[in-house]
Amino acid sequence: MHKMVDDAYYKQLHELQAVDFVLVELNLYLDTHPMDANAIQQYNQYAELRMRIAHQFESQYGPLMNFGHSFSSVPWAWNDTPWPWQV
Amino acid sequence: MNDQVRYYEPYVSPLDPCPPRRVKSYITPPQLFIPFQPPNLPQFHPYEALMHGTLWPALYSPYGPQKVRQEEEGDD
Repeated sequence: MHKMVDDAYYKQLHELQAVDFVLVELNLYLDTHPMDANAIQQYNQYAELRMRIAHQFESQYGPLMNFGHSFSSVPWAWNDTPWPWQV
Repeated sequence: MNDQVRYYEPYVSPLDPCPPRRVKSYITPPQLFIPFQPPNLPQFHPYEALMHGTLWPALYSPYGPQKVRQEEEGDD
């Protein structure tokens, strides 16, 4: 069962990647600035946004991760194509 | 010209085994000059941050192809 990979797939992945990068940066920043409330508020906003983007992506294209980090459809879907290097 | 690149002329010895590199360069990224990152620095848009490799323009250090300043062709 080949998944249909289209522009929306790449667009959502790009958005997810950008949000993930912002979260990484904020996380590293907050490690050294624990009292910065604005950054924490921004971090929470982006974390919530990331969950929405990932949920929407997974509902359309299947799980992003395995070992309990994503839901799966039937049949077992996380090892479906396209694999990350095929995207 | 990228303002974070600095140049120096290493000593060239007649005993050097390889052709001399008369001008060499090194990068001085912004974090060398910021002891502790102040809060609430201006930020890039997420897509720009992804392309620039950092969330804060103040910390951006371009990593492009550097044309080493060549007084004369010493890079043969």
